[in-house]
Amino acid sequence: MKHLLISATAVLTMLFSGAALADGETIAVFTKNQTNPYFQAVRVGSETAAKSLGVKVIQYIPTKPDSIPEQLSQVEDVIVKKPDAIVFIPVDYKAMVPAVEKINAAGIPVVNITDRSAAGKFVAFVGADDYSIGLATARALLKAIGGKGNVIILEGVKGSLTNTDRVRGFNDALKESPNVKLLASQPANYQRLQALQVMENLMQSFPSIDGVLAANDPMAVGAIEALEGANRKARVIGINGSKEAVELIKAGKLLASGDFNGFIQGCVGTEIAVRSLRKQPTPNEVILKPIVIDSTNLTPYETPVEQRACPTLEQIVSN
Amino acid sequence: MLARPRLALSRDVAQAAYRLLAAALLCAMLAMLSDVFLTTSNIFNVLRQTSLLFLMASGLTLVILTAGLDLSVGANIGLSACLAATAIKGADSPMLGVATGIGCGALIGLANGILVTALRIPSFIATYGVMWMLAGMTYYYMAGDTIHGFPPGFRQLGSGYLLGVPMPVYVMLVFLLIGTLFAQRTTWGQQIYAIGANPVAARLSGVPVERRLILVYTVSGAMAGLASLIVLARINSAQGDIGEDLTLPAIAAVLVGGTSLFGGYGTVAGTLIGALILTLVLNGMNLLQINSSWQPLVTGVIILLAVWIDNRTRRIGE
Repeated sequence: MKHLLISATAVLTMLFSGAALADGETIAVFTKNQTNPYFQAVRVGSETAAKSLGVKVIQYIPTKPDSIPEQLSQVEDVIVKKPDAIVFIPVDYKAMVPAVEKINAAGIPVVNITDRSAAGKFVAFVGADDYSIGLATARALLKAIGGKGNVIILEGVKGSLTNTDRVRGFNDALKESPNVKLLASQPANYQRLQALQVMENLMQSFPSIDGVLAANDPMAVGAIEALEGANRKARVIGINGSKEAVELIKAGKLLASGDFNGFIQGCVGTEIAVRSLRKQPTPNEVILKPIVIDSTNLTPYETPVEQRACPTLEQIVSN
Repeated sequence: MLARPRLALSRDVAQAAYRLLAAALLCAMLAMLSDVFLTTSNIFNVLRQTSLLFLMASGLTLVILTAGLDLSVGANIGLSACLAATAIKGADSPMLGVATGIGCGALIGLANGILVTALRIPSFIATYGVMWMLAGMTYYYMAGDTIHGFPPGFRQLGSGYLLGVPMPVYVMLVFLLIGTLFAQRTTWGQQIYAIGANPVAARLSGVPVERRLILVYTVSGAMAGLASLIVLARINSAQGDIGEDLTLPAIAAVLVGGTSLFGGYGTVAGTLIGALILTLVLNGMNLLQINSSWQPLVTGVIILLAVWIDNRTRRIGE
């Protein structure tokens, strides 16, 4: 009888946990804004992973892009609603530390992706570092212009971590090519209209520009339009590996785009969160290798993110 | 009472002249520091960049003349541009795109006007609320996507030339003329000044205040819609955040241009000079390659300096 009871409890427990699995754990995913295609790719990645793992994803996005107070209050909401785990991109790597500490205090496991938080306890960090991507993409441009000529850097938002590291990567690549002259390094705040105008202004000063290193794809697009408007030619690179960039590479207007792979970061971040809930082993850091998309490796990127499949964690880690 | 005293008009003209002096001083300084500043090519470059800012700020000038504010200009440009881009690409019709951009902008302006008049919501809050609604609709509509690649005919509007002069510069001059004639020479224009100067007196003297307010917000919206087309034609693409950083520079252009935030005082021509000064700041910083860390500080100092020079010279002039 006693045995029966125990086995019945065991069966019930199994059934119950089975039911819980079928219902699916809930994962809260935090991204920075609704406007940047990169974060859209992260969200699609997290949802693709969630579907194959049988979990539910709830997206938290500040309505005002990159708003610190809004993400803070979203974190407070989430702590009340108690999801099983959180996948977190801080809108600001320092300002969101108190929010991370609240999540830690509430005992909700959290995976940090894309921008590394300055402090807090995380199951894992998944990211690609801006510096290596900046370096690798700039090298592609310097190679394309034959290691000599004049280049311009279009910087993103001053003071942002991504911009500082990408531009540092650009500059270090330039140091490797002593015959390349850096004409100017000017900010266009990651915006395409500003990049267009800054580029138009810089073309007034410099009759010969061979390359443009833009710290994101929209600025690269702005630079391309400015060059075309003035009937001038230069090789241009951007960073993000956005759909628009892929199309422009195909059209031969953009030389290359450093890939951040938001989709894979969304996949891997969500998978690690779920694995930690299911007590499966997880890596504590996954740094994706920089990939420079150009005309030679374009094909896989032509599939829209919605139709891509998540790579397994093993595939990523063994890379 | 509708026609303002002659004195006020000539004061406006004198004021615009002093403001032009501030812009001229800035130009003289840049010409000394950079040998490419005064080339034909750079002058047209600056004027083309000015024209976009002016178009955004010109309708806004009328709103501010009534002592109101339109904070939805940038968000309006965002939604209008994305819808117009869809029309141009989807229906393959630049004309439909132009109609969509201006129509969408005007409808948003009309909504602002109704909120301010019929619902009596202060313009700052009404247009602030509308700004959020528009941003939300744009983000939802675009879902992080971009639309790019417009037909060359449409692109002419932003990047084309006619007789060596960039197309947007013509658009700017046409609207400078229309705006100035409307504000200074028509009864409706004078009523707008009257509402800004003293809404109670304007109402008592028979000015249809509500209808004129709805008009100025609709015009401001329509001008944002038109500006969105220039943006599209210039950058050849639309993204949800396209108008994000555009509202404050537009308001600054109006105020640097001498229009009073309290209404009743200022000109559309002044706004053109304000837009020119702001554009010269960016042009100058790029030509002189001011380090990116210093650019925000330099921008602030030059804007304050321009307004200060203007105030000084105006006082001497009077």
